[in-house]
Amino acid sequence: MVRSRRSLAAKWVLLVLIALSMLMPLAWMALCGFKRDLDVLKTPFAVLPQVWEWHNYTAMLHDRQYMTAVGLTMLGAVIFTGLSIAVNALAAYAFARLEFPYKRVLWVLCIMPMFVPAMSILITSFVVVSKLHMLNTLAVLIIPGVASAAQMFFMRQFFLGMPTAVEDAARIDGCSRWRIFLKIFVPNSGAVFVVVGIISYMAYWNAYVWPILTISNPTLQQIMPVLANFLDDRGPQYGQLMAASTLAALPTIVLLLVFQRHIVAGVRLSGIK
Amino acid sequence: MPPTQATTPRKRLGTVTAEVVEAGTPERRSSTANREERRTAYLMLAPMVVLLGIFVIWPLVYAFKQSMYQGNFYKAPVFVGLSFYKYVLTDPGFYQSLKVGGYYAVIVVPGGMLIALLLASFIKTLGARMASFMKTTVYLPTVVSAVIASVLFRLIYADQGLANWLLGLVNLGPKNFLGNASMVIPAVAVPGIWLGLGITTLIMLAGLLDIPESYLESAQLDGAGFLQRTWYITLPLLKNVLLYLFVTGLVAAFQEFLLPLLIANGGPVNASTTPNLYIFNQFRSATPYAMTFSITASLVLFIVLGTISALVFRLIRSEKAVDA
Repeated sequence: MVRSRRSLAAKWVLLVLIALSMLMPLAWMALCGFKRDLDVLKTPFAVLPQVWEWHNYTAMLHDRQYMTAVGLTMLGAVIFTGLSIAVNALAAYAFARLEFPYKRVLWVLCIMPMFVPAMSILITSFVVVSKLHMLNTLAVLIIPGVASAAQMFFMRQFFLGMPTAVEDAARIDGCSRWRIFLKIFVPNSGAVFVVVGIISYMAYWNAYVWPILTISNPTLQQIMPVLANFLDDRGPQYGQLMAASTLAALPTIVLLLVFQRHIVAGVRLSGIK
Repeated sequence: MPPTQATTPRKRLGTVTAEVVEAGTPERRSSTANREERRTAYLMLAPMVVLLGIFVIWPLVYAFKQSMYQGNFYKAPVFVGLSFYKYVLTDPGFYQSLKVGGYYAVIVVPGGMLIALLLASFIKTLGARMASFMKTTVYLPTVVSAVIASVLFRLIYADQGLANWLLGLVNLGPKNFLGNASMVIPAVAVPGIWLGLGITTLIMLAGLLDIPESYLESAQLDGAGFLQRTWYITLPLLKNVLLYLFVTGLVAAFQEFLLPLLIANGGPVNASTTPNLYIFNQFRSATPYAMTFSITASLVLFIVLGTISALVFRLIRSEKAVDA
């Protein structure tokens, strides 16, 4: 009894230590958001702000450039996520349930992009979108990444595992494939849509390289480029920078906390076993 | 965004096994029903195929074509065969960047895997609620973007930043992390490990949970300690998971370029210029044929890394087939 209680206490101590060290950088970032610019980096070092300065956070929330970028990126990310679930789920369903000529060829074609490193098509993708006159539009940020081999693959695995009984009954009753997809598959795929949806949202929200290549119009700035150029644009406003970074990290962290169970299960599904 | 999705080492969705499509049940149906089904299938696939065709296949084919032509915006391109490949393969800057990338990957991947193994072993011993808290905590940095991590770690590594304060607590003098060529890669590797730890830990945990408890218990009865159990039972049984994580991790880490770009700007004096950062910088530079050079270099990387991972995964699969 004593021993198990002692080991439980040891586990708690270890757990708190690990959590502290994993989260310390983020905690420091959030705390620095409350400091005056001069207090962020100074000797003697202080973890907590001497004066709690809400000003940095409120200033960022009222900052026209920053909030426009936040709003636009959020809008783009939501559209991106919706489109990407729709496109990938349709293809996943066709590969999981339908029979058609050239299935193998199309399968290889759709799965191959998973093996193509982003860098090897980055430059020519840029040439392609500029040929299509897509530069400096919201479309260039959204459309090119919508179709994703990995997500399609993931959803197909899930669809393959769904029981066929209800579907067969619906087929006998003369239900079309579209109806089956919309009425049986979509309502039962909430969990998998959440996982791929969050991954899409994160990919869009956190994107940096593609936006800096394709967007030069200041009114279409995305959030990550704004943060990366923050000090160059505004001088050494460390307190505001940390506040802006904390606010920009919040959406994905909130998504994680709300859907933690799905995500943890999703990682298990997606890894090899 | 196709260009960002694979550059972060955190996105390892999907297995790298090109699965054979199931043949399905060859029922005999009327031909009109078949035609209907075919039409439905093609309609459902159309958006995916069109988008991948335009934004992946076209750029890829175009890249291979471009790598064999010398040209710029003013002159008609001239076919030069493989000369750009030769140019890339004899470029000292490219080899230097390969070394940097290798150094970075050799720190990030084994380091990250070791920490992940310890974390996963610890989480496995916890009760349900503590385990779920721990999983979320470990996963949390994964959702933070590389840009935010870079902005943050630049300040952490500043002369009066968090890292030097922590070193000061154990009486180690202040260090110039980012200005020192021998220190910059390990410094950049820390956020690299931090960002990737979540997925590695969860995949490893899933592997650990698959190991039958009875193996470990009987070893414990025979007097094997934690290290012995880990070495003789857990690690051999985890071999495929470890190999998968190791290879995908190496391939991803070798391609990392956002962290070194934004934290150290490739410096000091190229000490943190990883292969993709080198390629990216070439692309942005104003030297003649910079674009063709960087396209060719990225294809060389693609071919080398792709071959390595294909070989390793063939190995894993063939072993699985033997086991079954």
